[in-house]
Amino acid sequence: MTRRLSAGRIAILVVLLLADALTGFEVYRYLGAHTAARLFQPQKPTDPGQQHHSGPIAELPGTLYLASEGAIYRLRHGDFGLVLPAGGWTQPAVTPDGRSLIVVKRQFAFSDLYLVSSGGQIQAQLTNDASKRYEFNDWAFYPRVTPDGGTLFFDWDRPKDLQATYNVTLKVWSMPLGNPNAPRRWTTPVAYTGGDVQPLPLSPTELIYTRYFRDQQGNVHSELWLTSRPDLTGLLPGHALTAPEDDCSQAALSPDGKRLAMICTHGGQTTSLEVASFDGTALGPPLTLVGTMQAAEPAWAPDGSGLVFLAPGNLAGDFQLFWVRVPVGPPSGATTPSGPARARPGPSPSPPPAPVQLTTNLDFDATSPIAWHA
Amino acid sequence: MVAIVLVGLVVSCLGGALAYFAPALALAYRATGRTAAVSLPHPAGRASSAATATTVGDRAFTVLLLGSDDDQKFANANGGKTIVTQSMILVRVDPVTRRAVMLSIPRDLWIQLPNGAYGKADQASEFGGPPGATAAVEQAFDIKIDAWVWVGLTGLIRLIDYMGGVDVVTSQPVMDDYYPADIDSKDPYAYERVAVLPGPQHLNGHDALQYVRSRHGDLQGDFGRSERQQQVLMALKAKARYIKPEDLPNLASTFNGELQTSMSLTQIRGLLPLAQAFDNPDQIQHLVLLPPYTTSRTIDGQDALVGNWSLILPLVHQYFGYA
Repeated sequence: MTRRLSAGRIAILVVLLLADALTGFEVYRYLGAHTAARLFQPQKPTDPGQQHHSGPIAELPGTLYLASEGAIYRLRHGDFGLVLPAGGWTQPAVTPDGRSLIVVKRQFAFSDLYLVSSGGQIQAQLTNDASKRYEFNDWAFYPRVTPDGGTLFFDWDRPKDLQATYNVTLKVWSMPLGNPNAPRRWTTPVAYTGGDVQPLPLSPTELIYTRYFRDQQGNVHSELWLTSRPDLTGLLPGHALTAPEDDCSQAALSPDGKRLAMICTHGGQTTSLEVASFDGTALGPPLTLVGTMQAAEPAWAPDGSGLVFLAPGNLAGDFQLFWVRVPVGPPSGATTPSGPARARPGPSPSPPPAPVQLTTNLDFDATSPIAWHA
Repeated sequence: MVAIVLVGLVVSCLGGALAYFAPALALAYRATGRTAAVSLPHPAGRASSAATATTVGDRAFTVLLLGSDDDQKFANANGGKTIVTQSMILVRVDPVTRRAVMLSIPRDLWIQLPNGAYGKADQASEFGGPPGATAAVEQAFDIKIDAWVWVGLTGLIRLIDYMGGVDVVTSQPVMDDYYPADIDSKDPYAYERVAVLPGPQHLNGHDALQYVRSRHGDLQGDFGRSERQQQVLMALKAKARYIKPEDLPNLASTFNGELQTSMSLTQIRGLLPLAQAFDNPDQIQHLVLLPPYTTSRTIDGQDALVGNWSLILPLVHQYFGYA
């Protein structure tokens, strides 16, 4: 015997079916909203909620320039501002007067250096690396201006190795900032290592750079190299500041010129941020300021009180901005006036200061040095 | 009445969850438990490689990781695509000691292929796909492989992008003017210029692939590339700890046919806790068959690597056991 459904019962049934459908949909939506991937989405420095910061980041003096996802941002008193919109921009270097930047614009098969005002107005293209012939495109990276503001050092993959086209290496070059047509090559890299990178000019005639080479077992190492003469023949004038097994790179000189910060891997897959005294020819024993957190691109505060650097700082592993105070008077033990080795790391007099994370969900380019002007 | 309402809610909850996980279930059905027996004609050859019969317990086991494109320039005579495995990594996991060993097999290593002829190791998958490659590796190295996992290049890119990129420390500038631009290009012979700068960095899928695939600017060629592949694998593993069950449907869509394995779902489920236990890079040993384990030769007009098997086999047996 069947009972006829009353209107009331039909209404209840419809409501129940709707509730069931809604529940199923909400379960679907809930699961979709709880993926780990949602946590892997960084923000831009100028996004709402990221643009203005208080706390330690607002206490950084001067202006910092950083690259993120092809754009250049300035950071001043805790506020981020856009200097150059996304377009392949990276590796800003600031001129000593703070009025201009030299910035790399990276494109599909080449990159060029541009002179840009600190406000983001393009003033000049300093290299012309695009070519209709694919093999004649060039890469230009790592611009850095001498302390007197007159000379620009940078990396170029010119001249090409026409005998071995697979051997593509970066070489350190310089040119007068006011005359881009007079470039001068400074280094002759070891073949098939990727080349010499990250020039740090001490003056127009003195240079620290990262040199890559192979040991007798064929393993690639990096070392910081100091030279005062261009090398067009591979005779390698100058001398090493760090030992091959330390695998150091990304040198940054303190404003007073007496301390050198660097990133070292010691042959492993983690990096440490180290600081050593520098007397103009050799390094003292290094102090490890930051270990095992993949620190990159240290940059000194204008007053020499500490360093900012980049390191993974969120769930996605995006590189965030950190600050670490540098103890006054790092170890100043025996220096090695000649030869390739610096003094071995000595015991730290006291635990180094803990680094402070300044940003939380941004995505800075960890191969782009940070420019910092007072 | 109350019971009906409750049952209805439970059913709708299950329905919503089922709908959500449907792509993952479909992938699990399509991509796992892929088995095929490949017999090698060599007199000493064994009928293999089922590469299936492993359960995750306390027993050490060996997995062959295969990475490849479906490159059009390797189209076979019938016009079909041929898969060339650009990356072959043997992984031995010991659940008891919590240690693992990774051995990269050079793609140019001259071994017997499943069709009986000799050729480069990367061509083995032309004959029977991943099971064929597994059989060839088993025979060449005289080991037992318990399972294989194959990932396509575009699958790797999408996986890394879905996981928000990976962190690696690139040991030197990786410069390559003749990197194959065959992923999104209509021209399978196109190439592009690559410059991966040195130092710690966060790589997206595209850049990570360039890093692990480029070999022209590396004096160690495929060996250097093998080390980079192991490095990115470790970075991916580190990232995988954050993946939640809710990510599985999206991951399934991400792979979209770019993932296959001989392992069953049960076996994969058993492996997950073990993978979590390997959180220290020092637990994993990396091996690359550099000279004197191999020697460069030209064979039949091809650049090949001839194995010094009197050195290779003791090394492999030490870490991977015997067949």
